[in-house]
Amino acid sequence: MDKAKRVKGEWKRLTVQAAAFLLMNPKLHHFFFGTIEQGKTKSVCVPGLNCYSCPAAIGACPIGSLQASMSGGYKKPAFPFYVLGFLLLFGLTFGRWICGWLCPFGWVQDLVYRIPFFKKFRTFRFERYLRYLKYAVLGILVIGLPLLSAFSGVLVPWFCKLLCPSGTLFGGIPLTLADSKLAAQTGFLFWWKIGVLLALFLLSLLISRPFCRYLCPLGAIYGLFNRIALVHLDYAPKQCVTCGKCETVCPMGINPKTQFRSAECIRCGRCARACPTDALHVRFGLRGK
Amino acid sequence: MKRTVRICIFSVLFALGTAFLLYGIFSNQVSSVLIKATHICLECIGIG
Repeated sequence: MDKAKRVKGEWKRLTVQAAAFLLMNPKLHHFFFGTIEQGKTKSVCVPGLNCYSCPAAIGACPIGSLQASMSGGYKKPAFPFYVLGFLLLFGLTFGRWICGWLCPFGWVQDLVYRIPFFKKFRTFRFERYLRYLKYAVLGILVIGLPLLSAFSGVLVPWFCKLLCPSGTLFGGIPLTLADSKLAAQTGFLFWWKIGVLLALFLLSLLISRPFCRYLCPLGAIYGLFNRIALVHLDYAPKQCVTCGKCETVCPMGINPKTQFRSAECIRCGRCARACPTDALHVRFGLRGK
Repeated sequence: MKRTVRICIFSVLFALGTAFLLYGIFSNQVSSVLIKATHICLECIGIG
């Protein structure tokens, strides 16, 4: 990472992200046996995109659970009250702070982006239109198609099946490595998902958090709460000297001065730490003005 | 958006979230999540 983009104290956030991964995935011994944890805690949704087929996971992925809860029996769709309850409470309390501090796949992308590469992009032309793609992913792959499949009798979690890189990285790869029977069943779909994961890794070398910016349906949901969530970004224009450091270090490629309420802000606090005049702060509580 | 409006929206949504969660628990949606989460999800790992 070039010097202009370095921020003091970034190791704290990386440590919290690693700790959050371990808290959500503490049963590491399952990795060696190719099994998954089966305790009752798996009925509780975790805040981040953490696949429930990760061998060590002790909680349920909210996006996977949302799709699974749309079926109330054969050809009988159901309204997913339970999972939506979690999503509302997580979103209202934390907003996209979860993406910046707790999500395991966000952490992985942050680590990959730190690998030196000949060119890094903050943003590019027409990029802002690509950001709407995650709402299409939410509407089509997480809600629309699974709901249609629930009507037809067999629920298919299309987002997990076609796109989710967290399932491939934390579930698919370790399970197929540890269990030869599972490995023998891999086919086109598995390699498609490996391709998606590799493409996202390659993109993560060039641009920070491409999955969070363009594809993540969980980020799309939490982003809707950013304006009213308890964790928020405060901006004091009187203290700002318009040096532009906040904009340079933002991993989501936004301008924190003008977009501090944006659905794209992941509340990572890099802008606040880079600000020489303390004009930006990540705070907890209802926003003042 | 004014602070009072924000507080109102926040309170309504928070109550709704809590109600959804409780209704989900009492209508046994917990078990559908548990069943899905305790079995290897073949779609998630790219096999199903």
